[in-house]
Amino acid sequence: MSGQVWVYSESEPVANEVATAAAAVAQGASAEVRMVDIGSVRPATRGSGGRLLLKGPAGHEVSPAVAAEALARAAKDLAPLAVLLGATRDGREVASRLAAKLGIGCMAEVAGLASDGQGMTGERNVFAGKVVAKVRCQFPAVATVKVGAYPKAAAQPGESQEKDVGPVSDQTKTVGREKKPAGAVDLRSAKVIVSAGRGVKKKEDLAILAELATAMRGALGCSRPLSADLGWLPEEHHIGLTGVTVKPDLYLAVGISGQLQHVAGMKDSKVVASINTDKDAPIFQASDYGIVGDLYQVIPALERALAARR
Amino acid sequence: MKIAVCVKHAVDEAELKIGPGGSPLLAGAAGKMSTFDKNAVEEGLRLKAAHQGEVVVFMVGGTESKKTLKEALAMGADRGVLVTADTVAIDALRTATMLAAAMKRSGPFDVVICSEGASDTYTGQVPPMVGELLGIPYVGYARKIEIDGKAAKIERSLEDSVESVEAAVPFATSVVSEINDPRYPTLIQIMQASKKPVEELNGEEIAPAGSRRGVEVLSMSSQPTARKHVMIDGSPDEAAAKLLDALSKEGVLK
Repeated sequence: MSGQVWVYSESEPVANEVATAAAAVAQGASAEVRMVDIGSVRPATRGSGGRLLLKGPAGHEVSPAVAAEALARAAKDLAPLAVLLGATRDGREVASRLAAKLGIGCMAEVAGLASDGQGMTGERNVFAGKVVAKVRCQFPAVATVKVGAYPKAAAQPGESQEKDVGPVSDQTKTVGREKKPAGAVDLRSAKVIVSAGRGVKKKEDLAILAELATAMRGALGCSRPLSADLGWLPEEHHIGLTGVTVKPDLYLAVGISGQLQHVAGMKDSKVVASINTDKDAPIFQASDYGIVGDLYQVIPALERALAARR
Repeated sequence: MKIAVCVKHAVDEAELKIGPGGSPLLAGAAGKMSTFDKNAVEEGLRLKAAHQGEVVVFMVGGTESKKTLKEALAMGADRGVLVTADTVAIDALRTATMLAAAMKRSGPFDVVICSEGASDTYTGQVPPMVGELLGIPYVGYARKIEIDGKAAKIERSLEDSVESVEAAVPFATSVVSEINDPRYPTLIQIMQASKKPVEELNGEEIAPAGSRRGVEVLSMSSQPTARKHVMIDGSPDEAAAKLLDALSKEGVLK
């Protein structure tokens, strides 16, 4: 019997990305991919291989703690070579807990996964994206896969397997869940992003950037100080290492100095243009096009030029 | 209330130099308290102010990292525990194992606070691992923590939603930076920090690594993104027109 590479994510779209990464690992390790469902089958999860249903935990809402315990119990019996999860906030928790329960290594937020048969390798950003580290972990291993790094796997039929892991209790209780405003969702799928930084003098002035974003059929983002320190925009607009990671066709940085932690969140953008009064601002090093100038003059000029073209 | 806060002496990514071969020059690289750890220390101090008790700061690191521990003490933490280890060669589970072992020695703690991830490596793995290894409830990505007696109510900030979670003390948590504004220590606090007790523990002694290999770093290389660096000049209107021309040619203007 060949080994297995398990895929689990609380998010179905992410699970289908992770499945693509798992297929690469499975190929190198001559293993089979199993899409894991916990508690109940999620029909929308496609994946490239068979399925594994872990029975025992109840219902559709599986907390990270319950998911980790269910996966750990099943892994102790079925001994998969690797368990791959999505590097979402919940996914990181499940992966970390699982690795701690099993006493094995966990690679964080990797892309470029491969296997030499004995273990797996992957690449991850470190030092706010300044450096890429190639990491390796001997099987059995856990990894979280960078969200957006892989295309979603095509549906493929495969064997279905069930495993009863027994009831799993949770030490905490989720008593409420509220959707955040759509900002974060819009930014991740936006083709054009206009992003505001400390160069914007007051909160009301964000309106001119929002107008430009609308004129460019894009979304409005910001650097960390505007959301975390000044509170001018909700946290969901924050692009950067601890905020949203985006890769639009066009990223227009307005009054953003270009700290590494900000660049980490937008460096995969196709084209980057920036406007800043300081000709030495680091953002210009991360840009294709730069205008040294006052945003309060350049932004209206851009709006006029755009209007003239339409 | 006994509060444990974990901090890391992180590589200062802005100061990090890249060698001629493209690999980062980590030996002797400048370090600083991991940016988001200041929020973890602040939250510990905030809880202490509300519930009394003490704040103990834990760190795994070499002797060069002591200044980060001092910084946390200057902010107001009561004492520090330094677990000595070569942090370059260890993975998150090893770090978490040493932190948990150190906490067990001077615990038990009512609340264990980490930041969501280190500003240099940003795996975000140590906090849930510490919770798991201590066997206490863990609630990650907290943006608000309220404790009433033994009951805690925590708001978790996820990608697209905010969850309200109830947990019982003791528990572990990681905080996001929007949870608070970290204080700056005064000059007097910085001077007093040197007098606060710091216990040193040997990581290998309190938690032997055994034969476990964990995650290994095979290589590191700098990846400058290829950008065109075209500077556009002229009056605002000229520059705007030139920029739109360039963006049209790139095919990125909708």
